[in-house]
Amino acid sequence: MISKRWSAVAALAAILPLAACGGDDSSSEATEAPASSAAETTMAPEPGLSGSIFVSGSSTVEPITTAVAKLFGEANPDVAIQVEGPGTGDGFAKFCAGETDISDASRPIKGEEAQTCADAGIEFIELEVAIDGLAVITSAKNTAVECVSFADLWVLLGPDATGRNSWSDANDAAAELSAKVGTDFGTLHAPYPDAPLTVTAPGEESGTFDSFVELVLAKVAKALEVEDDAPRPDYTASPNDNVIIEGIAANDTSLGWVGFAFVEENLDVVKPLQVDKGKGCVEPTPESIASGDYPIARSLYIYVNAAKLAENPALEAFVDLYLSDDGLAVIGTGEGQIPYVPMNAADTEATRAVWEAKEVGTRDGGK
Amino acid sequence: MALATPASHGASTAASLTTELTGSKRDVRGRAVEAVLLATLALSLLILVALVVNLVQRAWPVLSGRLGDFLSSGLDASNAAEAGVWQAIRGTLTLAVIVAIVSFPLGIACAVFLEEYAGKSFFARLIRINVRNLAGVPSIVYGILGLTIFVKFADGITGGRTVISGGLALAVLVLPVVIITASEALRAVPQSIREGAYGVGATKWETVRSHVLPSAAPGILTGTVLALSRAAGEAAPLLLVGGITGLLRTGDQGLWEQITKGGFTSMPVAIFSYARQTGADFQAVTGAASLILLILVVLINALAIWLRNRFEKRW
Amino acid sequence: MTTAMSNKWDAGQLRLSPGRRRSDTRMRYVFTAAGVTTLLITLLIIYTLFKDAWSFFWNVPKADLWTIGWFPRRGMYDIKTLFVGTLMVTGVAMLIAVPLGLGVAVYLAEFARPRVRKFLKPIIEVLAGIPSVVIGYFAISFINPNVVTWLVGGANKAFNIASAGAAVGILTIPIIASVTEDALRAVPMSLREASFGLGARRVPTTFRVVFPASISGVVAALILGVSRAIGETMVVAIAAGAVGGGLFSTDLFQPGQTMTAAMAALGFGSDQVAGDGLAFQSLFFVGFLLFLMTLVLNVLGDRLVRKVREEY
Repeated sequence: MISKRWSAVAALAAILPLAACGGDDSSSEATEAPASSAAETTMAPEPGLSGSIFVSGSSTVEPITTAVAKLFGEANPDVAIQVEGPGTGDGFAKFCAGETDISDASRPIKGEEAQTCADAGIEFIELEVAIDGLAVITSAKNTAVECVSFADLWVLLGPDATGRNSWSDANDAAAELSAKVGTDFGTLHAPYPDAPLTVTAPGEESGTFDSFVELVLAKVAKALEVEDDAPRPDYTASPNDNVIIEGIAANDTSLGWVGFAFVEENLDVVKPLQVDKGKGCVEPTPESIASGDYPIARSLYIYVNAAKLAENPALEAFVDLYLSDDGLAVIGTGEGQIPYVPMNAADTEATRAVWEAKEVGTRDGGK
Repeated sequence: MALATPASHGASTAASLTTELTGSKRDVRGRAVEAVLLATLALSLLILVALVVNLVQRAWPVLSGRLGDFLSSGLDASNAAEAGVWQAIRGTLTLAVIVAIVSFPLGIACAVFLEEYAGKSFFARLIRINVRNLAGVPSIVYGILGLTIFVKFADGITGGRTVISGGLALAVLVLPVVIITASEALRAVPQSIREGAYGVGATKWETVRSHVLPSAAPGILTGTVLALSRAAGEAAPLLLVGGITGLLRTGDQGLWEQITKGGFTSMPVAIFSYARQTGADFQAVTGAASLILLILVVLINALAIWLRNRFEKRW
Repeated sequence: MTTAMSNKWDAGQLRLSPGRRRSDTRMRYVFTAAGVTTLLITLLIIYTLFKDAWSFFWNVPKADLWTIGWFPRRGMYDIKTLFVGTLMVTGVAMLIAVPLGLGVAVYLAEFARPRVRKFLKPIIEVLAGIPSVVIGYFAISFINPNVVTWLVGGANKAFNIASAGAAVGILTIPIIASVTEDALRAVPMSLREASFGLGARRVPTTFRVVFPASISGVVAALILGVSRAIGETMVVAIAAGAVGGGLFSTDLFQPGQTMTAAMAALGFGSDQVAGDGLAFQSLFFVGFLLFLMTLVLNVLGDRLVRKVREEY
């Protein structure tokens, strides 16, 4: 009787590893099977290629690299690839410790991070791969506002805006700001209507939050010589873009910001506003974002470990594909594409030139 | 805590018992209490039903459209239409095996030590408090531990950010659950069973092995079930240890190489990754992945619960 | 197992053979080592947390520890925001989990027929298996829109402490139920029989005899539940709102920040925070505080258990 009981326990212990091992075996088939059937890619298969590629970094860039890695994996089934997205900062920490081959980044490398890399003897090639625009949005039902300036955004969303629950609450601050900076940051649209100001936007953990601070509020804060450049804390924060869209759509006189590409899918409920940084109102479009005319846009990068290129042929082939027309075609607003803005022709050429020359160091970062 | 007060009012028990004994014939209060208890049970089950219905609703586009494809596709954070859970299921099962191998023997051994060997010594009390405390340490702290110790310090043994490091972090995380429930099960074994063994000249170890452990086995299984489901559902430690969120291709790596050198993912990590991607398509993928994780956990539970019920014993 | 004993034996057989004695001693060492391992784990946790927590505590301007909210990237490390947030989530969770968990346990152990119990207990255990990520999304897609905002008009429509707490409570029900039920059933049948013999009915027997007799197990269950609620990370990170930072708030129906969610936001990284030394170190500081909190709670719980525990 006792031995029967123990055999049952042993059975439980035995079944679990079996289930897992079965999983391991058939899974490697499952991942390789699509490779042969998906020969539609224009890449010529390079049968000799093997080894492994490890990409970490920005969660914003993660989907782009994932899509390119899928393309690459179809043509090179023997190469092991891992893509993850803990965040740009974490990515650089791993990259500069030599753990990763490529680091995705939604901002240029910082001076201290570049120093960490240099101290570890790691040289990198900085490659811009796409552009992410931020749209300032309100409800589609809001007809009172078409354009906001950086100055408007400062008094409505900046650190001093805490507690302003109506647009008109910002009128005094607008007059004050206007006296200090004039029209350096665009025309203020005060007096604002006496309507509820409900703000829904990404939370602090989000790269989109960082970009908004860096591209808008930090610029005004610098001119005002104040240290605090973080937005008012009293708003509904969400890491989920769908929730932000819902929050904006639910209130007629709402205000917030999200990644541009996401607005295009929701034009029926939210309205992207024109933005003025002192050079007039610019409507966010793929063209104006790619050209840099629209002022709230950031470049997305990959950083490639130069030393690992020499020892890992798969890595060079991977970046070759990334920067080819096929690779960059994963970006766009079509079905199955990653919804960011592709670089314009000039920037694409510039990136490819850096890659051809294997030029190490940073041009945009280091600050 | 209100329910516990009778213990501190032991003196009044006799008086109230008298009242009970001379009370009305029909047990109205008994019925009422039973109804309330039944209601708590019903509410708990209702929550479970709401959860499943809600999940199925969200997951429906995937379940009705491409279930087979979803089950057989790998991790993919770029395209909801091609994303799947196969690698994540495999990762979760592999993690469960590592957890079982590491934490079950260690946890049960520790419970045996506490209940059969340690007695009431200061050392035993220290370990007992320590284990209770470990049970309350947040999972994310075990992630930090895993990152510092298993990934960085012991990378020669674990291979760094591998499924071994992840499994070890989870094993340490569930260890207190195994110990606490196994201890309860051992404590429930009547002393007479031990005395029976001693009476025929068995040593302590022989008593434990042939009498105490087999008698406590059903209860111990409950603990291991709770531990395994906890491990299968944990995301936070794995995200810190380095679970892959974007894409995982094993290339020409053999099974052993995948385990000792390659990256890994798991169901909760995949759910976390899918949930943060934008678009309604990925929401459906998130729902479907959640539902499958739930089913997976229920299957693990069902197996062990069946075993337990089969061998359950009451004294 | 005892068939080794032959029918004919002499007194010499009563003495342990050296082999049996050796294996007995060896196993004693093995079991002791397992116990020591748990202490080692605690020491490792303290070691990993303490270094950075200490450094954070000495380097952070003390005024930053008491401000308007928890915004690590703005240099605001208001501990009371996290502390109150954690208390509120745990409070709501216990409000749900204690009555439901104990109710289910008592019903299953004392009232349900064996067949009903065999069928229902596994189902309740399924609740224990629901991963916290799944419950987290259940909180924002069901509990908040359909329950919390329906009951409380002014509740935040996206995230709030009450929904997160309710979800954590759901996770805690089976822990409390399962451990309590085991404890109740461990009470010897003879105690019940004695009570019935005195003429007591099921309800007084349950609450005056069985329940007090199993109090150590019940307290263990409650401590496990509270610890789990305090330490729950993913549910709160997903459903409580203010992930990266939050204003000090005592409103149950607005977004809030807990210790664990703050750690998750720091630990999973974001585009900037990992580069900032002090903010990242605050992760270890909060972790260390959390560790101390559960330690105090558990030492108290242990004393309580020893005080009320009865021996059979």
